[in-house]
Amino acid sequence: MKTFVGFLYMSRELPFYRSKTFHRKKTVVLFVAVLFMLMFLIGRLVYLMVFCSEYYGQKAEDLHERERDIKAARGKIIDATGTVLATNKSVCTVSVIHSQIEDPEAVIAALVKELGLSEETVRKRVEKVSSIERVKTNVDKETGDRIRAYGLAGIKVDEDYKRYYPYDTLASKVLGFTGGDNQGIVGLEVKYDEYLQGTDGKILTLTDARGIEIENAGETRMEPVNGYDLYISMDYNIQLYCEQAAEKTYVKKNADNVSVIVMNPSNGEIMAMVNYPEFNLNDPFTLNYELTQEVTAEEKQNLLNRMWRNQCVSDTYEPGSTFKIITAAAALEQGVVKLDDNFYCPGYKIVEDRRIRCAKTTGHGAETFETGIMNSCNPVFIELGERLGVDNFYHYFSQFGLLSKTNIDLPGEAATIMHQKDNVGPVELATISFGQSFQITPIQLVTTVSSIINGGTRVTPHFGVKIVDEDGKLVETFDYESYENICSEETSETMQYLLERVVSEGSGKNAKIEGYEIGGKTATSQTLPRSEHKYISSFLGFAPADDPKVLVLVVINNPQGMYYGGQIAAPVAKEILENILPYLDK
Amino acid sequence: MARRQEREKKEKPVRYFDYSLLFLIIFLLCFGLVMLYSTSSYYGSTRFDDAAYYVKRQMYASALGLAAMIVVSRIPYQIWMRFSTLAYFGALTLCTAVIFVGTEAKGQSRWLKIGPVQFQPSELAKIGVIIFLATIIYKTPKRMGEFKSLLKVMCFILPVVGVVAYNNLSTAIIILGIAVCMLFVASPKYFHFILMGVGVLLVGVVFILAAAYRAERIKIWLHPEDYEKGYQTLQGLYAIGSGGLFGKGLGESMQKLGFIPEAQNDMIFSVICEELGLFGAICLILLYLLIIWRLMVIANNAADLYGALIVVGILAHLSIQVLLNIAVVTNTIPNTGVSLPFVSYGGTSISILLAEMGLALSVSRGIKLEVT
Repeated sequence: MKTFVGFLYMSRELPFYRSKTFHRKKTVVLFVAVLFMLMFLIGRLVYLMVFCSEYYGQKAEDLHERERDIKAARGKIIDATGTVLATNKSVCTVSVIHSQIEDPEAVIAALVKELGLSEETVRKRVEKVSSIERVKTNVDKETGDRIRAYGLAGIKVDEDYKRYYPYDTLASKVLGFTGGDNQGIVGLEVKYDEYLQGTDGKILTLTDARGIEIENAGETRMEPVNGYDLYISMDYNIQLYCEQAAEKTYVKKNADNVSVIVMNPSNGEIMAMVNYPEFNLNDPFTLNYELTQEVTAEEKQNLLNRMWRNQCVSDTYEPGSTFKIITAAAALEQGVVKLDDNFYCPGYKIVEDRRIRCAKTTGHGAETFETGIMNSCNPVFIELGERLGVDNFYHYFSQFGLLSKTNIDLPGEAATIMHQKDNVGPVELATISFGQSFQITPIQLVTTVSSIINGGTRVTPHFGVKIVDEDGKLVETFDYESYENICSEETSETMQYLLERVVSEGSGKNAKIEGYEIGGKTATSQTLPRSEHKYISSFLGFAPADDPKVLVLVVINNPQGMYYGGQIAAPVAKEILENILPYLDK
Repeated sequence: MARRQEREKKEKPVRYFDYSLLFLIIFLLCFGLVMLYSTSSYYGSTRFDDAAYYVKRQMYASALGLAAMIVVSRIPYQIWMRFSTLAYFGALTLCTAVIFVGTEAKGQSRWLKIGPVQFQPSELAKIGVIIFLATIIYKTPKRMGEFKSLLKVMCFILPVVGVVAYNNLSTAIIILGIAVCMLFVASPKYFHFILMGVGVLLVGVVFILAAAYRAERIKIWLHPEDYEKGYQTLQGLYAIGSGGLFGKGLGESMQKLGFIPEAQNDMIFSVICEELGLFGAICLILLYLLIIWRLMVIANNAADLYGALIVVGILAHLSIQVLLNIAVVTNTIPNTGVSLPFVSYGGTSISILLAEMGLALSVSRGIKLEVT
């Protein structure tokens, strides 16, 4: 009761006990001063917590949040037979978290032993004061598991995906490989990167000042979207067979390299593309030959770039006699020649002041156009070039699509290197007619010839067929541009006939296969500078001649010894066709 | 009991005891322990594997302080007048002793260890100064109008301030502030204090400019984000800012998880802001204001000037610490280490504060009510 009374009385004015009243006044002044200062601080708090709240809140959140990527699995590359040519393998990334390490020496010892790194390197990583330090990436899953088994505090082993190519070197320059961030670097991997890559997921977690995740903090998770699978027209068996054939020739002829392209001429689907020697896709940064001397990092990079280069697409060469197919088709299309037109070859032809020789120096004598092409007689084609004239010739180049890129779905396609039309005199016209003094890529030759022999439809050479998601659902089927009637049906049929004659009885008879009608054309061209006497032997063949299903180009770069295309390239093409024709008929 | 009450009734009309102050103190103490537990559990569990490590120690000190408060509140406060000289020299001796035989912590020796008890003499000095000054002024009330006597009294205090300032500048400032406040109330003049204020300001400016590291503190104050040493201030601001209007909820602070260094000490107010928001922070400030108001009421109704001055000293002590702490945490003034009374972790501080409150309650007990 007393308490209540006391409490009630306190609120009332209390009687004076002291004579001096200024003490009380000053105490009140003191209180009021404190009151005002507290009010001011409240004002400051309002400013901080209402007006600056967003700013500081965001800063604090940035400090607390740790973002962790969940890598999306990269899509597979699957060939026409369903064989997986590029896939992913589980690997580990080993990191150290400085603040969590309890026994640095044990950590260093364990990492040195398991990762095979120098102690110095590991020590530097372990002793670096940072929130997380990556020690090594692409560690085998088994090694990662072993490191985990040590149970040392401060070591973090994250599982990750690494690109894996089950067949190592198979179609290396076509498939390409990926870099550290799983992005495509060369080949189909870079061309179809956007489909293959997928979208990385994210985990947002809250951590304390030591970087330790807070349990039950409610992490925000964005699931990764795995990359789509790419189905390509390449056939594992054909590719493998072509590679073996290329390797054999490469070894036998001691060539610089051997390229083979196998394409379906009617739609441009490429079944095989070989550039021997290939490199190991699982170890793309090691040269596929021994270096004879030390090289700088820059030189090494240049050598690597050269090794990764897809010669079928990125390198141009003088096509030589295989180009006569185009000259012949242009002449037929223009109507300046008929199969039974008569020519005479004395072994050379004088153009202006130049004497351009035929391959057969003694001359083919009297011949028709048909025998001329069977003999691969230069004077006949110089004559055709003259009959066509520069304007018409160039018109057909353009119509056949020879002057533009093929738009193959591989990166780094080289353009055709052709004379400026205005600079073409009689000598240039003559050399162009039989495939010299200009350069095209092998893929350009294959595509243009395909277009001529497939009934006159310019096709786009390609590998990509369709994109399928991880559940097997079709995402996209690729359509490729084609231009019809680049030459008439009749010209096309005539060319099929003529080229069949070349193989059955002409210069390409080494490619003849019993039971099949093969069309084809041989070529032997000299590389620049001519003084080096380096040659490129090639053979372009297709079958069946009257309804081509498959077209093969074999290019042997700098063969030693015998270098005539009809002698060394045609047998390779024959061997390939012999094996793949029955296979394709199945 | 009943008989004693009757006898008391006969003796005096009504005896007063400020239960509202007692209630406020107990409420604030409990609130402080809850907030301390919330704030210190992270450091407790990471350093000592015991989330309640800090709060347990704080509870022991609080229990000790509560006991002291009850005992002191029952002792007539006039008794302390006899010990004023002892308090003065005791404070001076202990604060000098700590310089030489103190326990080091973070480069500064502030603790004195006697047997199992470890305490901060500078905290004791505060209450010593309050009792000493109250006695002196009480004995010479009429002289307080003269400027000369003010200076003389300040001269008594300065040795203590100086010794404390040797390793704890902020406590020295608090002691000086308490002395100034008590003299302010004792003196009928205002002008002297305006003069004194200007003087302190000038000395302060010179003091800061004299040493480069103090000037650096000013720079850190103005732009905490640019300096490594502004880290604590900045982290405090992050905590305050992320609290918003109603806070993240009790226990939900992120900044206490190692981001604010020693959050349980001087920076605890920022964690309160983060967890309870502007609403909680203002409530806490109002709670302090209520206690200060009660102290003012007690001072103004004390039976004698001595009691009034003691309570004014306590009022000044509490107010200055609350003001300085909140001002530092909100980066209103440059950083200096002042704890938040009843809430911050610190055994000596809480025990002394509770004992002081006992003293105030003892003064309130002396108030005589006239029932008309």
